Amino acid sequence: MSEQSPAEDLEDLYETAPCGYLSASPEGKIVKINRTLADWLRRSQDDLVGKPIHDILSIGGRIAVETHLAPLLRIQGYVNEIAVDLLATDGEKIPTIANAAEKRDEDGSHVFTRLTLFKAIDRRNYERGLVHARTQAEIESKAQRESAVVREQFIAVLGHDLRNPMAAIAAGIRLLRNREKFGPQGHHILSEMDNSVARASGLIDDVLDLARGSLGGGLVVDRNSEAPLTPVLEQVIAEIRAIAPENSIEKRIEIDEPIYCDRGRLGQLASNLLSNAVTHGAPDRPIGFEAVSGPGLFTLSVSNEGDPIPEDARTHLFQPFFRGEGRPSRNGLGLGLFIAYEIAKAHDGTLEVDSTDRETRFTFRMPTEDRSFA
Amino acid sequence: MPRSETSVLRRNNVNVTGAGTRAMVFAHGFGCDQAMWQPVARNFERDFRVVLFDYVGHGQSDLGAYSSERYSTLGAYADDVVEIGQTLGLRNAVFVGHSVSAMIGALATLRAPEMFSDLVMVGPSPRYIDDDDGYRGGFSRAQIDELLEFLEDNHLGWSAAMAPAIMGNPGRPELSGRLENSFCNTDPQIARDFARLTFLSDNRDDLELIRVRTLVLQCSQDIIAPVEVGEFTHGRLPNSEYRLLRATGHCPNLSAPEEITTAIREFV
Repeated sequence: MSEQSPAEDLEDLYETAPCGYLSASPEGKIVKINRTLADWLRRSQDDLVGKPIHDILSIGGRIAVETHLAPLLRIQGYVNEIAVDLLATDGEKIPTIANAAEKRDEDGSHVFTRLTLFKAIDRRNYERGLVHARTQAEIESKAQRESAVVREQFIAVLGHDLRNPMAAIAAGIRLLRNREKFGPQGHHILSEMDNSVARASGLIDDVLDLARGSLGGGLVVDRNSEAPLTPVLEQVIAEIRAIAPENSIEKRIEIDEPIYCDRGRLGQLASNLLSNAVTHGAPDRPIGFEAVSGPGLFTLSVSNEGDPIPEDARTHLFQPFFRGEGRPSRNGLGLGLFIAYEIAKAHDGTLEVDSTDRETRFTFRMPTEDRSFA
Repeated sequence: MPRSETSVLRRNNVNVTGAGTRAMVFAHGFGCDQAMWQPVARNFERDFRVVLFDYVGHGQSDLGAYSSERYSTLGAYADDVVEIGQTLGLRNAVFVGHSVSAMIGALATLRAPEMFSDLVMVGPSPRYIDDDDGYRGGFSRAQIDELLEFLEDNHLGWSAAMAPAIMGNPGRPELSGRLENSFCNTDPQIARDFARLTFLSDNRDDLELIRVRTLVLQCSQDIIAPVEVGEFTHGRLPNSEYRLLRATGHCPNLSAPEEITTAIREFV
């Protein structure tokens, strides 16, 4: 620092500062204005002094100043970060951000009001953009919520209405089998039709469960301890064996105490886990099924020896419509595990997956007793 | 719908002070809240039961009680005034209304004739927009539209991005504490609704129905409510006095509280 800095000229600083300065009398007349601000307005300083401050404001700005800013200034003595539109001689609006403070004398009387103004063209555009984006996002999110509700209601109604024709087809198959004479080919076709009806009915039930779950409050379960669970699970295993005779199922069912549950729903959970194992397990290796009650805890697990589930897929397994990649899914919609998970939740239980090179195992755990009285 | 006393008082942030038996109710206008009446109201605390309140959606009122549908007429605000009066058991009270509140107060006297015996209108205007029949309200329709547009953008001068922080974040009340300007806060949507209601209203025909004694206080050089509007209001009211104040601007309750105090005192 060999040279001395030039001294700052305070008058020049006021006149040509990179912001506008204005002082107004308590009656709202311009008392003093700097050259920067006068230049923005394309008017001379002499012309502006003595004029009402309204002269340099847009109509909206005038009303806002009278009804809001002036009272605010009187009450708290200052206002900061106020957006004000100035009006140049040619009618052009100049967006600014202003701070204002009242200058008061020793007695506290109002001497004049000082304003400092910054041009804020880009900033106001940005703010407008933000407000616009927010409004737009609100509109879109509302529309999406509405269309989601309509879609789910549609699914629920459609699923419900499909049940009756499916029941009619099933009844027709039974009638044909009992009353008509068919050769081996005919009986085979009837069995295939039975399987198809069972699969279609299962899909409809899944879709209805999904719609009910999304439309309000999750799955409805009807829990009690009044009947044994074992026969229900045996029935499910028998059904899966009938559908997939090529797979072997090794079962261990040891339930010694009453389980406070919705037996139909736990049968559905077991069925979904078994179907999943049939689809994704190794065809030549057995599927393991265990249902065991310990003190206070019921555990149901289903294992298969298929390829391990990739790490990133595990986080999505229990989401609706998730399907494993690379394999043709025989079950269609990808709702089985989602519904099993919802059934577990509705029983205050958990459903977890553990997948290694050796085996993939889904384990459901729930308390055997009603916890709502605990 | 019947409301409990506390819910009405909390809804409108009603504050009652003063030692008198007769009540004087002060009502704020567009753009501010009850804070604007403090400099005048305190002068009446020795002789009157002083009632200050915020309209729903303004100041410290219960914003949850606001809906655009319910508050779509000045009459709805007048209904709230009547509810406050009933809750406090007001009879023959004085209603002092600034700006649009002058008309709200007038409507309240029609709804509950026993409640208020005297009405003070400060800077009243029954109609802000000029009419083809020769009426001069002070603004053209285009100018009022420009104001409403300005509010869309600026919300009474707050920079637009800042304003939503006041109420758009009910889960983050600490944001309101960070506002630079702590008085006269209004949610931007409510401010727009109230501006629309205020500046598009037409209460000229109601004036002839007002039976209570009325004092019209008119400011000099008020761009919101010009002198000829004050004279028109006085001319239409069956039982009114008119007083032109030395005070300028639209808020004499803040710029000239002593002059307003004297005028009200002489009237009541």
